[in-house]
Amino acid sequence: MGDIIGNYDILGAFWVTIQLSVLSALGSLVIGTVLAVFRVSPVRVLRALGAFYVNVLRNTPLTLLMVFSILGMSIILGLQLSQDQARDSYWWAVIMLSVYHAAFVCEAIRSGVNTIPAGQAEAARSIGLTFGQSMREVLLPQAFRGAIAPLGSTLIALIKNTTVAAVILGTAEAAGLLAQITENEGASLPTFFLFALGFVILTLPIGLAVTSLSRRLAVKR
Amino acid sequence: MSEALVVLKDVNKHFGDLHVLKDITLEVGRGEVVILIGPSGSGKSTLCRTINRLETFESGSITIDGKALPEEGKELAALRADVGMVFQSFNLFAHKTILENVTLGPIKVRGMKKADAEKRATELLERVGVAHQAQKYPAQLSGGQQQRVAIARSLAMDPKVMLFDEPTSALDPEMITEVLDVMVELAKSGMTMIVVTHEMGFARKAANRVVFLSDGQIVEENTPEEFFTNPRSDRAKDFLGKILTH
Repeated sequence: MGDIIGNYDILGAFWVTIQLSVLSALGSLVIGTVLAVFRVSPVRVLRALGAFYVNVLRNTPLTLLMVFSILGMSIILGLQLSQDQARDSYWWAVIMLSVYHAAFVCEAIRSGVNTIPAGQAEAARSIGLTFGQSMREVLLPQAFRGAIAPLGSTLIALIKNTTVAAVILGTAEAAGLLAQITENEGASLPTFFLFALGFVILTLPIGLAVTSLSRRLAVKR
Repeated sequence: MSEALVVLKDVNKHFGDLHVLKDITLEVGRGEVVILIGPSGSGKSTLCRTINRLETFESGSITIDGKALPEEGKELAALRADVGMVFQSFNLFAHKTILENVTLGPIKVRGMKKADAEKRATELLERVGVAHQAQKYPAQLSGGQQQRVAIARSLAMDPKVMLFDEPTSALDPEMITEVLDVMVELAKSGMTMIVVTHEMGFARKAANRVVFLSDGQIVEENTPEEFFTNPRSDRAKDFLGKILTH
């Protein structure tokens, strides 16, 4: 066990997992919010576009997206994000994780918008706010507060889903490194539990924080 | 005589098969206070909401201060800024403080500086008697207080006309008075008001005209005194008989 910790950069691998998680969480939050605005907008084309995105991305396996990014986008179409192949894979992993989870973020925020009484939007329009202003000032702030719990679940899922990136990242992140260690040193339960523990350490605090945040930030009506 | 501030001409609206507004023609002059009254389902709330296009309509025209009601977009938002609206369920922004509720419109829509907007908001909150609650959130206030804040929020936009959609229907009796007092004072100050309400006392005290609707039609228009003591149509007699017996 000591050998394994000494010979392999486990912390480094988890550090990459954390980087992937943070960058993709930000990316999916931005894309997901835009999509949610599309889906509740008064413009039919935007609503259709949002629905199409969500239905396509939510129903495509993440592994498929990962493979497609490198084989399809990077190699066949030549859309390389970096000359260095490892960096190229890294950024494609971030993009695919963002794009995939944006569909779930969108639905979480949309459900948050739907919990807001219709009168809030009517009052916002009545004082002369435009659609964009009503969204920014009145609806989204309340929607986010109402959507903290499902957003938290999505974030936890995202952190665990970074392991899927191993298919294109090789050994750079935690799951890939675990596979390599298993291959070189043979399967061992302690190694497995060590990595599992790493993920618990990353995700458990988020679950706890989300529960307390959603209680504290709940909009009182 | 200058043109009326709010002019509705042959306005028609359906909810599916239900014809909720039938050829509504109505003029409201500057400084006039008009009460919309009628049985439930008569279309009075719908009519009120149509005037700032929270409800669409199919035919006819509505003009406010000579300008036709725009269908959507920035022009509609600009027009709504000039038309105050007070709802039955108050609809204060739940995540903002009382002060922020009143300053949001002036800052975002009128482009007022924050400090100026806050000064003006504080004056308005004083006028409606809730200035000491400025830092609280809506849920911490009583219904009557919330509704007075909602009135202040509308007033902060310096509206040309104010619409009230059953402003006291969700309130306890003692709170109704505090809201009506603010509305009477507003009427006296010369504000143009269109009010959906069953508050006879308010109608008698503050209104210039009562418009009685039934089944989506304007059945009768008269001064409050005449309407309540001497209704002409059978439907108005029947309606008043029902609400005045207790």
